[in-house]
Amino acid sequence: MIASPQTSLAPERQTAAAEADRGLTYRPNVDVADCGSELVLVADIPGSVAEQIDVSFDDGVLAITATVRGRPQAGNPVRQEYGVGDYRRSFQIGEGFDGSQIAATYRNGVLTVRVPRLAAVRPRTIPVTAG
Amino acid sequence: MQMLRVGYAHPLEDLRDEMDRLWTTLTAAPPLHGWTRQTTSEPFPAVNIFETDEAILIEAELPGLEPADLELTAIDDELTLAGRRADPIEHAHAAEAAGATAEPHKLTWHRRERGTGAFERRLSLPTAVNPEGVVARLNSGVLTVTCPKAAACRPHKVTVSAS
Repeated sequence: MIASPQTSLAPERQTAAAEADRGLTYRPNVDVADCGSELVLVADIPGSVAEQIDVSFDDGVLAITATVRGRPQAGNPVRQEYGVGDYRRSFQIGEGFDGSQIAATYRNGVLTVRVPRLAAVRPRTIPVTAG
Repeated sequence: MQMLRVGYAHPLEDLRDEMDRLWTTLTAAPPLHGWTRQTTSEPFPAVNIFETDEAILIEAELPGLEPADLELTAIDDELTLAGRRADPIEHAHAAEAAGATAEPHKLTWHRRERGTGAFERRLSLPTAVNPEGVVARLNSGVLTVTCPKAAACRPHKVTVSAS
């Protein structure tokens, strides 16, 4: 999809060097929506645990890193359609968001991150009264 | 005489086709029904299948599903995974909009890669399984299904006796 002009998300930074020294890392699929008062990011990170997920916000970059413990191979592989590994992805978040108030929850393999908009820049509707 | 080569296309036409494809990819709205990954048409969910002497083990990544959202059917050498994934953002927004007195803020999507809706995938297993004994677990979005092989398909040790 095309990013709208006011979008605050730039393509994620590639940290190839960092990825290379950590084995296989996957890029989670995400949904990102601007709900007005906050930016909501939903990422598919199956097989991790809350304690192993790191969400950081630094200099306008929201970074998600999740460690996934390799599942013991149960037998002879018959079909392999996906690999198991850590997840990593980062996003450039525009101005006007409050990095200190980010909340993240992990449930059923889905990480939800909420980045509230700074109160000063929330859209306001100004009522017009007849005078 | 100049021969017309079959399948020949001017390089610029190739470029135009490529641009058309790119444009379609960029502008295509995410599907409302069915399940696709953004750039691939791989079946969903992706599975890893393992085999031991006693059982066939299937692992699938199904983030965002509760056990109740999932329906598994096993018959003979076939396992069907079916279910539905809801959209948490849309759902929360709709709930908020329903309770709001003022006009709710419009939802602006920046990225939609996850896909929502119903899916069904039928898997052919390497051997027949005992449907009664199938055990499925969903943990942190990872489904693990253990299908014990049908008795006839298990390896049977043959004792060799001296004549």
